[in-house]
Amino acid sequence: MRSKRDKLFLLSLLPLSLSLLAILIISIITMVLKSVDALQRFGFQLFASSGWSPENEAYGLLAPIVGSLTVSALAVLTALIFSLPLTIMIAEYLQGIVRGVVSSIVELMGGLPTIVYAVWASQYLVPLLKQFLMEPLHSALPFIPLFSCRPVTGFSILAAGISIGISTVPYVTALTLEAYQSIPSIYREACYGIGATRYESIKIMISLAKPAIVASLILGFARALGETTIAAVTVGNSMYLSSCLFAPGYTVAALIASQFADAYLYPYAESVLYVSILIVVLISVALSFYGSTTMIRWRSRIIV
Amino acid sequence: MYSWRMLREKLFTCLIAVLSLLAIVPIVHLIIAVLINGFTVIAKAGINFFTNLPPAPLSREIGGIAPSIIGTALMTIISLPITVVLALFAAILTTEFPRNTVSIIIDAVAKSLASIPTIAVSMIVFTLIVMPMKGFSALAGAIALSIIALPYAYTYFSTALRSIPAMYREAAFSIAMGRWGAVMKVLIPIARRSIAVGVLMTIARIMGETAALLFTAGRFRTGVSFSPTSPADAIPLLIFDYILSPYETWHQVAWGAAALLLLAYIVLFFATKLIVKEVKL
Repeated sequence: MRSKRDKLFLLSLLPLSLSLLAILIISIITMVLKSVDALQRFGFQLFASSGWSPENEAYGLLAPIVGSLTVSALAVLTALIFSLPLTIMIAEYLQGIVRGVVSSIVELMGGLPTIVYAVWASQYLVPLLKQFLMEPLHSALPFIPLFSCRPVTGFSILAAGISIGISTVPYVTALTLEAYQSIPSIYREACYGIGATRYESIKIMISLAKPAIVASLILGFARALGETTIAAVTVGNSMYLSSCLFAPGYTVAALIASQFADAYLYPYAESVLYVSILIVVLISVALSFYGSTTMIRWRSRIIV
Repeated sequence: MYSWRMLREKLFTCLIAVLSLLAIVPIVHLIIAVLINGFTVIAKAGINFFTNLPPAPLSREIGGIAPSIIGTALMTIISLPITVVLALFAAILTTEFPRNTVSIIIDAVAKSLASIPTIAVSMIVFTLIVMPMKGFSALAGAIALSIIALPYAYTYFSTALRSIPAMYREAAFSIAMGRWGAVMKVLIPIARRSIAVGVLMTIARIMGETAALLFTAGRFRTGVSFSPTSPADAIPLLIFDYILSPYETWHQVAWGAAALLLLAYIVLFFATKLIVKEVKL
């Protein structure tokens, strides 16, 4: 009797819950079906060249894909530089009200609509970066290919990377902070017990948390890859593939944001854009999956 | 040796302090800059900012963002119930039957949905809904927003339900309540504050989303529309278009709209803080 009612209960929940599964399956099928056309027509060439001229049916996705990966890597680097000290600060140094305020600010940052970041980044951050980071680097180290071009407008791969990085800081901080605080306190006590200074104990704590920190960075990378608004506003939108970080570029999301609306007018444009997003989705889902399983495995090992 | 250890200790503390300050400075600057710039614009435009149409690119008047405000409100109202109901049912399923295959699949699906870039959702909704309906609509925008908010709402709700101690469920069963009764009469009332927080955060997520609306909602700014089946505008969409435009007036409107959005988000954020503070189990 009991189990029969349980079964009914389960059945009553199923239809609505399964809609999540349906949404995922329909999305994947749509993306794959829409991509097939362009993949058949252009094949591997699509990934070996860069270009966007629907009138001549010439497409190449190399620049936006490389751009997306570079921007995300820069974003993760920026997020690491800021979120690791922030994590240590909140977990080890701050106490009481100050700690509450700082962690509230981090939490507030985390849910902030990305369009607000985009407005701020395009009006304040990009000019600032151009003046105090790009120009000094260019005049000091022009022989390094990454810094070889003169920053013209400032809207560039580097600007997009740092802007997205700043918007990813709260996400990565939340993940690393949660991991750091879930390390049992016996480790810290053991460190202090053998006369370690705070720096030495933090060093040991960080080395314990390393797999979790790497996992948070992988999750951050996956999130940065799909970021659209900030990328579209700061990356400079240029199909030219350059080795220089100060040159304008494209990311897949920015390309779609600027081209998809008119893409249905041309025979293959829409399909090519679907190929590009399919690649981003595959990378992003795979990385998220890897990141979250690593995190779960680490947690089950560290908590004794 | 001893002094080097102490010196290193001090240096490390300084480094951590400087870097974490550098991490906090951008957000503080962002909030202050957006609020100051935005409210200067709103003050200049006055009440018209909420009731008028957006200005022509070269006009001197700032005009208003009425179509975007109404559009955002309309799409949030359509999308929120869909999201909350679907996410709540999925969360109940996975917390009540945690070891069932279906639950494990749905949990994994929610995680995968969360990692799909929002712009991909926008493209898919464009292909599957906007094209067959032969036009942009608030409804298409709301559907895209629901798909994006679903995994987040699901995470909030399932965390809320999972955090309830098992004894409450056992107590409900011991007085011969069925599973359904236990969930509806005991578990959800206990978790109501965390669920309310989840709903508020879902609203924040829905109203701040830009990329999902790029190819779904349309950009209807020449009038105010209340119909779900006709094109609509949204505040983030307006900001996105105007900040990318070369016109000074449109930049100003974008600042004003960004300040409004930021303020709405901050209000929601503090509301969740107030709700959480009063949790007494």
